[in-house]
Amino acid sequence: MSRFFTGGDSSSESSSDEEELYSSEEEGQDQAQKDDSDEDESEEEEDESESESSDEEGGRSGAARFLRGEDSESEDSDEDRVKTVKSAKDKRFQELESIIKAIENGQKINDWGSISNEFDKLNRHASKVGESGKPPKIYIRALVELEDFMNETISKQKVTPKKMNATNARGLNAVKQKIKKVTKDYQTQVDAFKADEDEFMKSEDEAPAPKVRKPKATDTYTEAAADADEEGFSTIGKGGKTLQFTPESIFKHLRGIMESRGKKNTDRLEQIKIMEKLYSVAVTPYQQIRVLLTLVSARFDLSAGGTATSMPLEQWKAAEQDISNLFEVLNKNQDHIVFEGAEEWEDDEKPPTLQDGEKYIKVPGSIVSYIERLDDELTRSLQSIDPHTSEYIERLTDEGSLYNVIFRGQLYYEHLRKDSSLETPQDSVNRIVMRRLEHVYYKPAQVVKILEENAWKTAPAGFESTITPQADVADATNLLNVLCNYLFINSEGIIRARAMLCQIYFLALHDEYYRARDMMLMSHLQETINSFDVLTQILYNRTLVQVGLCAFRKGLVYDAQNTLQEICGSGRQKELLAQGVMIQRFAQVSPEQERLEKQRQLPFHMHINLELLECVYLTCSMLLEIPLLAQTGSSPDVKKRVISKTYRRMLEYHERQIFTGPPENTRDHVMQASRALAAGEWKKSINFVHSIKIWDLMPDTEGIKTMLSKQIQEEGLRTYLFTYAPFYDTLAVTTLSSMFELEDRKVAAIVSKMISHEELAAALDQVTSTVIFRKGVELSRLQSLALTLSDKAAQLIETNERTLEQRTQGTANAFDRRGQNQRGGARGGGQRGGRGGARGGGGQRQAGGTQFTGGALGAAVRG
Amino acid sequence: MADAPKETPISSVLVESLVIMKIIRHGASTFPTPATGAIVGMDQNGVLEITNTFAFPTGDVANTDGAHQNDASALAAAAPRAKANMVYQNDMIRHLKEVNVDANGVGWYTTAAMGNFINLNFIENQYHYQKDNDQTVALVNDVSRSSQGALNLRAFRLSPAFMTMFKEGKFTTESLQKSKLTFKDILVELPVTVHNSHLLTSYIHQFPGFPTKAEVDMPASVSDILKADVKLPLYPSVDTLDLSIDPFLEKSCDLLLDSIESHYTELNNHQYYQRQMAREQTKITAWQTKRKAENAARAAAKQEPLPEDEWQRLFKIPQEPSRLEALLNAKQVEQYSKQIDGFTANVSAKMFAVRGNLMPE
Repeated sequence: MSRFFTGGDSSSESSSDEEELYSSEEEGQDQAQKDDSDEDESEEEEDESESESSDEEGGRSGAARFLRGEDSESEDSDEDRVKTVKSAKDKRFQELESIIKAIENGQKINDWGSISNEFDKLNRHASKVGESGKPPKIYIRALVELEDFMNETISKQKVTPKKMNATNARGLNAVKQKIKKVTKDYQTQVDAFKADEDEFMKSEDEAPAPKVRKPKATDTYTEAAADADEEGFSTIGKGGKTLQFTPESIFKHLRGIMESRGKKNTDRLEQIKIMEKLYSVAVTPYQQIRVLLTLVSARFDLSAGGTATSMPLEQWKAAEQDISNLFEVLNKNQDHIVFEGAEEWEDDEKPPTLQDGEKYIKVPGSIVSYIERLDDELTRSLQSIDPHTSEYIERLTDEGSLYNVIFRGQLYYEHLRKDSSLETPQDSVNRIVMRRLEHVYYKPAQVVKILEENAWKTAPAGFESTITPQADVADATNLLNVLCNYLFINSEGIIRARAMLCQIYFLALHDEYYRARDMMLMSHLQETINSFDVLTQILYNRTLVQVGLCAFRKGLVYDAQNTLQEICGSGRQKELLAQGVMIQRFAQVSPEQERLEKQRQLPFHMHINLELLECVYLTCSMLLEIPLLAQTGSSPDVKKRVISKTYRRMLEYHERQIFTGPPENTRDHVMQASRALAAGEWKKSINFVHSIKIWDLMPDTEGIKTMLSKQIQEEGLRTYLFTYAPFYDTLAVTTLSSMFELEDRKVAAIVSKMISHEELAAALDQVTSTVIFRKGVELSRLQSLALTLSDKAAQLIETNERTLEQRTQGTANAFDRRGQNQRGGARGGGQRGGRGGARGGGGQRQAGGTQFTGGALGAAVRG
Repeated sequence: MADAPKETPISSVLVESLVIMKIIRHGASTFPTPATGAIVGMDQNGVLEITNTFAFPTGDVANTDGAHQNDASALAAAAPRAKANMVYQNDMIRHLKEVNVDANGVGWYTTAAMGNFINLNFIENQYHYQKDNDQTVALVNDVSRSSQGALNLRAFRLSPAFMTMFKEGKFTTESLQKSKLTFKDILVELPVTVHNSHLLTSYIHQFPGFPTKAEVDMPASVSDILKADVKLPLYPSVDTLDLSIDPFLEKSCDLLLDSIESHYTELNNHQYYQRQMAREQTKITAWQTKRKAENAARAAAKQEPLPEDEWQRLFKIPQEPSRLEALLNAKQVEQYSKQIDGFTANVSAKMFAVRGNLMPE
């Protein structure tokens, strides 16, 4: 039997004989500790976490606190007997064992509530014991046993109709989840245990033996430290704990605070206060850095509990201040660096000193994480504030200081990067540059300029950024360019895609349509965007919309409509742009999803105006759809061509109304304008469109309006020609130009274009400048129906052939293809080109009109 | 009374002209809403004689306006199966019995426009009749086509194979493959003969025709009268020389396109199902392999193996959509195509005739 096992048995069954035997060995060495520990036992019983930390602090390691009953009993029985004293490590093991015992007891009576509690305790202890390396083996054993028992219970549960009571069921569930997690952590050990139980337990016999020796040495050390501490007692903290703030004790306090992190009953505000005091007494830069790092994370912890709530304002500001201070300290003390990969300095007594051959004192911590966290907290806070209050605007001003912090962070990382020996991960720099980019991309150039100027002011004089040299980035566009190029070169995957999108967004915002469009197309993001995370998809949608709006401002109606179609045509703009949660009527949304959805929402100042967006989209759709409607008329084959379903639906709805009052909202305006345009009353249409108020939100409102007037005139002319062409034999260009107040040249151009696109059966007589219509070229209804029918038939053949190809896996020559002409052969030519071939066939059909293309039936029909 | 003839399945239908007149009248008055009614008669040596008919009342069709037209037609189409109408039908048959008319329900009639009668309603109605009495038929009067000239009256029954399928109510690909049922096997058409009573025939023969000449040649002798040709009444009819092709073809094309459209809908439904099915299948296989591996691990650890058929509970295999609609649609398309085929055969003959006349010699 191992010593630990002995201990375990003795603790539960109080067989003090063995205990004695074993303890007598160590008796002599630990004699000194004994007295203290015995007295303290009872006091420290209550709060284990506290006692844990006090163990650390004071080094008064009480023997087996959980065994008080037994111990006191033995004390009673034989007072004079020498008490057993164990090292800290041993004690922990005993605690573990007692907890495991408790779990076993719980299992016996099927009390999952208590099992769950004990299991929590067990995990906490085990993690402490196992801190140094491997988890204790008894722990693993307990874990496996508990898991088996749990599985058994669950399977039993399924069979028996009787239900567990609520507490039990809850406990069971809790344990189930935790066990899953924990077993994953210790997978290898668990597997080893499962594979061979005895072997595993045996192997531990040897393993822990040497371990036991070690703690003793440290024990004496902690003892001494405790003594040293006790001399300087000055402040009495809460709960009778002694607190004292001297530069020497800083680390001890910090350690205490770090350890209580994430535990339930810790008063975080209290801790923050303590740390603030600690910071004021900290003298060496190392101390300052350590305190600041802990302080910042403690501040962030405040809001960690409820994810929906944001950090309190003053805490955020303080955190921001702390990070700035941190930068100051780091800047002053170039030999100290905060570095993610640094090793934890275990020794609380003597601060690390500069070793020979090392340039820096490394302090573990991640500045980029702090900055990201700070940024996230601001976003979260902005999400929760009503955007129409002055509070929001006040909060928004903090973005400036945040930007400064980000900027400083970037400078700091650049500084670190300069020294190649540090191997600062590229990832951190990328992340921080990305953050900076994300604060810039959606802002107009002027705002960016101000931000930049402020940022440079806060930076220590003489500092120069390698990524973004001050001289280069005075202009916002350049800044964007520099930042994005840096990310293109140095990053990959999501950050790269995001950088690309940010740049496109910025370009589109500043009316550089062609560059934005080319970048968008060259990025090929539209093919891969579905594999990115939701936030990037949202950014993609935003960028798409911005490009569309940019095209509209440039007067490129067709491109604008095409670009916006995907987002606006879906009717879910809000959701796609993360500017509001849609109430879903059909799908049930779990609270979890809803919370995630809410977290994704963009703060108000980043929103793209949805009404303006809708207005632009509808106007574009109108300019494209009305001539199309006039052109298709009643012929059934082209009827199906719809550019914007949303617009069509609205128009239909509008036309069904019996009484149409004066337009009230944007949509009404556009709809009435559409009707006027369809009737050829282009002036009225222009009036309607111009009276939409939201155009004022566009930069250069007048320019937009003139552009719209021009577009409406042209489209009006086209609509007129489509609608009334059958009633004319000839039509003078001058008549048209006076009718639509367009130049003759322009009219001629439009008419020629229509003729060349075969939209108009006419000829343009240059000499007399008249449009001469040809008659009798239109298909009769029956003819067009027959055409549609033949199209459909060809489609059916195609579908059938494709199905057959699938069935036969394209192996056999399913059809006898002899006798087919070349086209048919090419079309069905091979399983590989099946799709492409089919498409080609479609194209030919389009051109050829009535021909059957390819396929067996096609050949058969042609004979 | 229907016991004896059941042994010989009916092979043709003999319709009294009275019935036809009544059906035409009913159909024309409700057009475009389909009209339905019951027919009575009896079968004799495989010939079903239909001697009388009466219409089904279709609720309050009268006061439903255009907006509710769909409701009205749906109501009318479902009338033969409606409970109230069954009572009505029985009552009517009892009354008919009292006046000594054939009082034996042998089916029902419906009207259609351009042959668009093959739908689920039709099938269900006919099934409703045929499941009780095998010797029943459905008469279909195509109002639109009858109005264009020749009377279009057809008699249908459901094929026995289809009856059994429909009884099971399962129209999956599998069952269709097994029973080898195609759309061609849904309906059996029976030849229809119109029968006039001798009294009626002689009455028609006495119809005064239009005088062909201004002066009637008086018969010179009795033998002249005896030898003279029997002039058929109402003959010749010039209606059949109508040359308007477009309306009919346009309408047919429209209907055909509609059918194709619904074919595509069915196709999409089925493809959706297949995709869904494939997805579920992969999930199930993944689960099964996982469970197998798990069991192997458990066997190694000497533990009870987990049940391997739990997937039936965990995964829901999507229901295959019924292929019946697709079948009916195919039948409908066939019906349209035949219709067009018949029409064009007629018309091209006419066109040649016309051209022959117009061509200069």
